[in-house]
Amino acid sequence: MTETRTTAAHGGAIGMHGIKKWFGNFQAVDDVTLDIRSNEFFTLLGPSGCGKTTLLRMIAGFELPTEGQVLLDGVDISSLLPNQRPVNTVFQNYALFPHLTVAENIGFGLKMLGKPRSEIDSVVKDMLKLVHLEGRGGNPVTQLSGGQQQRVALARALAPRPKVLLLDEPLSALDLKLRKSMQMELKRLQTETGITFVFVTHDQEEALTMSDRIAVMSTGTVRQVGSPWDIYDRPAERFVADFIGETNFLEAEVVAVSGDRARVRLSSGAEIPATFPADVTPGGKVTVVIRPEHAQVGTPSPASVLRGIIREIVYLGTDTHFHIRLEDGTTFTVRQQNARSGSCGFSKDDAVGISLSDDVAQILRD
Amino acid sequence: MFKSHFDIRSQPGFGLITLFTFFALYLPIAALVIYSFNGAESLSRWDGFSARWFVAAWQNAAVQDAAIRSLVIAIWAAFLATIAATMAALATTRTTPYRGLTFKYALINQPLMVPEIVTAVALLIVFSRIKVWTGYSGLGYLVVAHTAFCIPFAYLPIRARLESMDLTLERAAADLYATRWQTFRHVTLPLLRPAVIAGFMLAFVISLDDVVITEFVKSGGQDTLPTYMLGQLRRETTPEINAIATVFLALSTALVVVFFFINRKKQ
Repeated sequence: MTETRTTAAHGGAIGMHGIKKWFGNFQAVDDVTLDIRSNEFFTLLGPSGCGKTTLLRMIAGFELPTEGQVLLDGVDISSLLPNQRPVNTVFQNYALFPHLTVAENIGFGLKMLGKPRSEIDSVVKDMLKLVHLEGRGGNPVTQLSGGQQQRVALARALAPRPKVLLLDEPLSALDLKLRKSMQMELKRLQTETGITFVFVTHDQEEALTMSDRIAVMSTGTVRQVGSPWDIYDRPAERFVADFIGETNFLEAEVVAVSGDRARVRLSSGAEIPATFPADVTPGGKVTVVIRPEHAQVGTPSPASVLRGIIREIVYLGTDTHFHIRLEDGTTFTVRQQNARSGSCGFSKDDAVGISLSDDVAQILRD
Repeated sequence: MFKSHFDIRSQPGFGLITLFTFFALYLPIAALVIYSFNGAESLSRWDGFSARWFVAAWQNAAVQDAAIRSLVIAIWAAFLATIAATMAALATTRTTPYRGLTFKYALINQPLMVPEIVTAVALLIVFSRIKVWTGYSGLGYLVVAHTAFCIPFAYLPIRARLESMDLTLERAAADLYATRWQTFRHVTLPLLRPAVIAGFMLAFVISLDDVVITEFVKSGGQDTLPTYMLGQLRRETTPEINAIATVFLALSTALVVVFFFINRKKQ
């Protein structure tokens, strides 16, 4: 126990092996195995009820896995109480102690660890500086704004220098502008402290912005783990592609395979190259995914791989969305950046052709 | 502000009922207080303003004796009941609900439901047996009896506070290396303090006020103020008991006011 409590200069690595969690008859987590590396900003991303918060609470020690092990730096911590784990949490509602001042809140963990007064004072001072709350140490926490409370919660969790910091949707209560700046702030804190951050969110943009790696979860299972680029550009399955950003799904037929490439024939008859994730063997009918920003709208020409009619044009300032009804009846979205001012040159009900940039189609696992 | 569909204040007779209620509640008390300053020997005949009965009560050795006994019992009973109530409230709120929990609420609140006279008779029988066996006949019996019926009064505000308390705070404390005792000591108890004080004061006033159980349980020469006053009624009654009752009223009002200000300063 004293071993795991010692303060660390490096972030801890979390291993979750074969984790299952039942609440009565409801299975919240179904056989999850994850390795979170030391010093990384790792995000558990998924819709509400997907089990991400349950996983986080099992790392913190608030829930025990029904089956499986939680490892910290290779040591099994599954059965340790929350106060025996060198892991701290930033709660969704901050959970600041209302009867204590800002400084007392931040110093709480160190006080419980029995650190001397002088050490607590100096760490609290450093923490106030780290989260830009100098001079506010004596204030009651109840008088702070939402953003300030958020920073106190962060400082309180960072003060004992945990090996891993857990963040449970901590930005969801903030307004958009504050959330954006806190995203940068969190990334900075993670880099400066070198502590492993495990961040839970349902906001895909937040996840893409901050994370080194993301685990996309759904119905108690991990669907894909990878860098933001992997997750967005190389989604392994339909759920991931659909959950992260906007996507077009097209039915296609595999005509040739070589290495990790395939040629697929779309319903329009055009053949395009497509990549596929390592664990997929293409064959016969498949679904390919194409991001709206990887396609261009133009007048129909031999270069158009798809043809259709514009059903709707949505102007969004920086770019324009074209919702196109393809010949086979499916809807296809194209996002085009508004490079110059003026109209896009197309109007509703125009017949158009869609061309694709090279290498943008991806075959999905079913 | 919206006007609600049914505004009771606009119903016919509302003013009259309000007036009646206030008179019914406060007229007797006003009469009591006024007559405690009666100069006459009689309870009902007014004979000029005087504080003589306050002086008389203050100098009456039996009153002094009963008052001190009342205070000693009330302090002990409130103290013990508050501790028991706090523990009971923690045990019944810091747990996942299970079958039989409602039954436990009923058990704890039993003194509110069983007629006091039943408890009084039961205690009389049990305690007289114990008195015979042990030979002890001190104030302990009264303290135990008072503690028992004070527990629900202390329990209710404490449980209400615990139920409304954000459980994540205790989780946060545990996350920040607090042991269960440290969590209780540094988070739960400080947040619970106003409710504990409220519970103590309620228990104190309830104990101070009790007649029925005290009358049955007390041994000879163990009068509390209320039983002393009751005893006086059997002899000639003077405005002295008005004076004692007025002091009672002042004391309990003072307690409520003090509690109100303690609570307001916290917020």
